[in-house]
Amino acid sequence: MKLLIIEDEQNLMETMIHYLGREKNVCEGASGFQTASEKISLYDYDVIILDITLPDGNGLQLLPQIKKYNPDAGIIIVSARDALDDKISGLDLGADDYLTKPFHLSELNARLKAVWRRKKLNGKQEIVFSEIKILPESMEVYVHDKKLSLTRKEYDLLLFLISNPRRMLTKEAIAEHLWGDYIDIADHFDFIYTHLNNLRRKIKQFGGNNYVQTVYGMGYKWTDE
Amino acid sequence: MKFLQKINRQYLLILTVLLLLISLSGYFLLQVIIKKEIKEDIQEKEYAIVREIQSQNNLVSIYPIIETKKISKTEIQPKSYKEIYLMDEAKDEKEVYLEYTHSVKINNQWYLIKIRHSLLETNDLILAIALPLLLLLVLAFSFSFLITKKLNKTLWKDFEENLKHIENYSFKNTQKLVLKETGIEEFDKINTTIMEMTGKLRTDYFSLKEFTENASHEIQTPLSVIRNKMEMMLNDKGLTEEQSAAVQTIYKTVTRLSKLNRSLLLLTKIENRQYDSKKPVHFEKIIRETKMEFDEIISMKELKFQTEIQGTPTIEMDADLARILIENLLSNAIKYTENGNEIIVKLNRKALIISNSGQHKFNSGDRIFDRFVKENQSSSSVGLGLSIVHKICLMNNFDISYDFAEGKHIFKINFI
Repeated sequence: MKLLIIEDEQNLMETMIHYLGREKNVCEGASGFQTASEKISLYDYDVIILDITLPDGNGLQLLPQIKKYNPDAGIIIVSARDALDDKISGLDLGADDYLTKPFHLSELNARLKAVWRRKKLNGKQEIVFSEIKILPESMEVYVHDKKLSLTRKEYDLLLFLISNPRRMLTKEAIAEHLWGDYIDIADHFDFIYTHLNNLRRKIKQFGGNNYVQTVYGMGYKWTDE
Repeated sequence: MKFLQKINRQYLLILTVLLLLISLSGYFLLQVIIKKEIKEDIQEKEYAIVREIQSQNNLVSIYPIIETKKISKTEIQPKSYKEIYLMDEAKDEKEVYLEYTHSVKINNQWYLIKIRHSLLETNDLILAIALPLLLLLVLAFSFSFLITKKLNKTLWKDFEENLKHIENYSFKNTQKLVLKETGIEEFDKINTTIMEMTGKLRTDYFSLKEFTENASHEIQTPLSVIRNKMEMMLNDKGLTEEQSAAVQTIYKTVTRLSKLNRSLLLLTKIENRQYDSKKPVHFEKIIRETKMEFDEIISMKELKFQTEIQGTPTIEMDADLARILIENLLSNAIKYTENGNEIIVKLNRKALIISNSGQHKFNSGDRIFDRFVKENQSSSSVGLGLSIVHKICLMNNFDISYDFAEGKHIFKINFI
């Protein structure tokens, strides 16, 4: 995937490039409106991550330009403002997703992949990890080609883990992904454990391996190492 | 009292007092002048009488105006004026006269001359002065009444229109306040002042609004940096156990800080009336949907969750705020209910009552809705949930109360 990250905070951009770059992604950064505008008109990107508040302009005004030069690119708006207005006008202007700061890198990564699948592959791509296969379009999961019956939360959890392979996902990030922002997160750690156990059990029933590692006190990791 | 009425009343009061003063002084002045004239007249008559006696030795007497008689030296009276009353037989009433008495010596004979002159009666005099003045007063009254009525319709029309405009104006309007020119200097001056003032307030309002958003942006971005760096470090295999524990703590604290910042921002936004859309909300539906969000935790804590819906209030408010209101109240109830106990949600046309079993009244009591008041200081909650609930109620004129009775915490919202 070729990514353009438009973000004026240098530290944040570096971290994003570092994190997202690990997965065979080519990441480029633009720290201002002008540089971003130039890059958009010159190169093609698969997904563009866009911060709204830039020192030399409003990121929302880049959207028409992206639509013109990069019509196939997926767009994820990243903003500190969760003001409803911004969200609505951003999505109206053709952004595919909206993420509020501070976000989890794992969440950004999962959303990035979802947007990419939707835009570039019309949702038809299969996600395969060894014997496990996910069809995102129909939300079906197969283990050794046998269909698994999962609850919505179990499916979301699996997709989130598998979107961030070999990475430790904190309980906070998982809870936020599954239940959203305003829920009191600490209460939900036990649910993660329950859902995860069910998920492990179901995969094992069909002869799948247990790829979920518990990182004590912190979170979980999907790995085949 | 209207402005013009007030002015008119003052005018008429002053006019009345003034006219009274004029009548009084007029009365006295007129009396003095009349008496002076009469006295001159009497002097002339005396002169004529004396001449008549000298030349013709004729004693003139015309009752009651002139009386002349011979007197002896002992009967001499000094020269005097006095007012007397005499019966007027024709009119059958007493009339007032000014009587002049004088003793004169003509050709060695003393004569007593009395000359009387009818005085105008006081009543007549007052009437003569007061009547035209009274007429003037009545005319002034009725004119001012008519003028007030007419001016109220024309002169004040623009003013009242502007007033209505100001009453309906809100800073959240996208437009500036513009008032109609009245053509009256004072009104236009007020208008300019008000327009300048609201303009300034409006700028302040927007800059405050902007400040809140900017502040949140400025805080959220560094928080993002910290959180994401921590996330990277947690994935680092080279950390010692101690380092990893420290990173975990920082990570969790940043998460809390960011939640706190968001809640504060939400509170500020509610205060700034940024959630002010008015749409009909269906509380029954919101309660049902919110309950579904909490279903997992309810079943895990084995809570008995009862809803008694007897009707749903017809209320117009911001849909997001309505949802936040219910979410916060329910999550609060769930948090403070021990496993296996019950939560009851009652809704009718006038009120929403959420009650849950508990051991004793919250220690914070009435302060429970204050900011940063927490039942359990060590809990991870930020202590803003019920403040947000309270603020939402305040902004929508709902009445919210907390009570503890029969082993239950009871939160009640009266919608009307």
